Amino acid sequence: MKTHGENENLYEVTAYTEDSLGLLYSISGIFARRSLDIEKLLCYPSAIEGVFKIKIYAWASPELIRQAVLQIEKKVDVIKAYYELDTQRSKKEVEEVKEILRKREEKENK
Amino acid sequence: MTGGEILLESIIAQGADTIFGYPGGQIMPVYDKLYDYQDRLRHILVRHEQGAVHAAQGYARIKGAPGVVMLTSGPGATNAVTGIADALIDSTPLVVIAGQVGNAALGTDAFQETDYIGLTAPISKWNHQIRSAADVAQSVARAFYIASTGRPGPVVLDMTKDAQNGIAEYIPATCSFIRSYDPCPVPEESVLDRAAAMIDAAEKPLVVFGHGVMLSGAEKELSEFLSKGDIPAGSTLLGLSCLDSDDPHYIGMVGMHGNLAPNIMTQQCDLLIAVGMRFDDRVTGTLESYARQAKKIHIDIDAAELDKLVKVDLPVLGDAKYVLTELTKKIREASRPEWMMQPIMEASVEKHKVIDPELYPEGGPLKQGEVVAAVSKACEGKAVIVTDVGQHQMTAARYSRFHRNRSMITSGGLGTMGFGLPAAIGAKIADPEREVCLFVGDGGFQMTIQELGTIMQEGTGVKIVLIDNNWLGNVRQWQELFFDRRYSFTRMQNPDYAAIAAAYGIAYRRVEERSELDSAVQEMFETEGAFILDVHVAEAANVFPMIPPGKSVNQIMLNETDWI
Repeated sequence: MKTHGENENLYEVTAYTEDSLGLLYSISGIFARRSLDIEKLLCYPSAIEGVFKIKIYAWASPELIRQAVLQIEKKVDVIKAYYELDTQRSKKEVEEVKEILRKREEKENK
Repeated sequence: MTGGEILLESIIAQGADTIFGYPGGQIMPVYDKLYDYQDRLRHILVRHEQGAVHAAQGYARIKGAPGVVMLTSGPGATNAVTGIADALIDSTPLVVIAGQVGNAALGTDAFQETDYIGLTAPISKWNHQIRSAADVAQSVARAFYIASTGRPGPVVLDMTKDAQNGIAEYIPATCSFIRSYDPCPVPEESVLDRAAAMIDAAEKPLVVFGHGVMLSGAEKELSEFLSKGDIPAGSTLLGLSCLDSDDPHYIGMVGMHGNLAPNIMTQQCDLLIAVGMRFDDRVTGTLESYARQAKKIHIDIDAAELDKLVKVDLPVLGDAKYVLTELTKKIREASRPEWMMQPIMEASVEKHKVIDPELYPEGGPLKQGEVVAAVSKACEGKAVIVTDVGQHQMTAARYSRFHRNRSMITSGGLGTMGFGLPAAIGAKIADPEREVCLFVGDGGFQMTIQELGTIMQEGTGVKIVLIDNNWLGNVRQWQELFFDRRYSFTRMQNPDYAAIAAAYGIAYRRVEERSELDSAVQEMFETEGAFILDVHVAEAANVFPMIPPGKSVNQIMLNETDWI
């Protein structure tokens, strides 16, 4: 079994995404490139219609997970990504993603 | 219309008129339609798909718009991978259209099938497989929008045979909004106020600017900002030509082979303002000691670059043009005469220790710097300078003068040998009125030398200055300095370049003597069309100054024995 560094924690990364071919590959590649082991990976429709949710559980240092999540968010088809040590944010995240989409559509319509 | 026709109509609708490509089995339906579009689309037949991508990069860097590449599946597609990776790291907008096997054959290891979505996912800004003709117009519009907005980059469209041959109604598409993508983040007013206050409070501010200034068209705004704040500024390799070489606030290039002033002043400034650059390790040297004494502001459009390598006091997420415009309004007009004297003193040391011995040697074989200086003088700093990768690249960056923007095209992040020749072809095709001068080493030249065929066929008037030293010079330099002079496989036996030039119908002159250099350069520029100037330079010469790997940016070798 792989041992983890003192500074490493098991993080839950959640990405809210469009339904895009190859995106999962692209996101998992960000972890592989930094040698971050993915413990578990889940993909399913989110509470927002047409928006998908990718959850990845991986061991990482706080700095590495922060950078990886920024690179996930950089993907064109990713609306927003979060990382957490616990799983309490779910409802708050959904509200926040709805707000992001509302603001972007409002910006476009201006 | 067929999907192939819709593709071509959609490319034209995006304002593109040139395609760099190479036909093959799985893109033939599109090429068949292209035959009827020759009055509206110019197709440049390259000699290798890597050449197509690099040529499109050169084209895009001059035009400021996406370069278009078309190629077949399998080996055609994989040959393009180096160029796509290069374009991603150097933020170059491209739309790469690759043929793909039919829908039913996907995933079956069919002839010339590769998983191009999988292959290009980590090296493209966005990729998409088009499986039906009805999806073509929208996909192309989206591709151009993504490639050219925000931090630009390469986009890949993987187009199956079904999509090319299928029939659909052509409905012109546009794209100016994708809900998951925010290419123009605007910083909060309070962030700009804080930045302005930090700048006003600084006694010794220093700007380091990069490619982002060029990409956002912020050259004028940068100059105005520096002028109002009386702030010295150094450029990264890809930022060169954003500021006129004679701008009173320009103090030279930063980084491993950069000028003394901006490197040393990085370790002296009290505020470092990074604009449109990403703190590449060739710029920072060892991160542990990089500008530790300074507060830092980092202005960039890519959120993932902020706090990635260098932790800053104030990240500013936004477009360089917008941020510089706003900051110039907010900062106080300043005068910093003492701080502005510092680069003059450092430049004096560099001139005495490095530049004069390179440009005015007392005899001996020609030096690379002499060649670059002679060319730069002849074209009065107005030509587009394209380089390959290696010693000549650093020398060209150091000794070229720039008096027009968008005048330096080089492979920075990926450091791709073989980039230069095709990129120069693309640059010349983008702006035939400008002189395009390529500096290339004998190693890189032979990596994509087949593109001389493209020059021959298209009549592209690229001036090629071959810095010929029979070595892979940069690696040789590292072997000499850091690997106990163990020259492991860096000596090159070169072909007869005169015969090669003759075979392609390209004018050629070989130069070995210093006395011939100026007249040979003059002959090159006076000759219509392409020209190969084969300059034999000192074989075992090194490029200095040099910040060795693992050192701080103020630990600089001035030559083989002297350090600062």
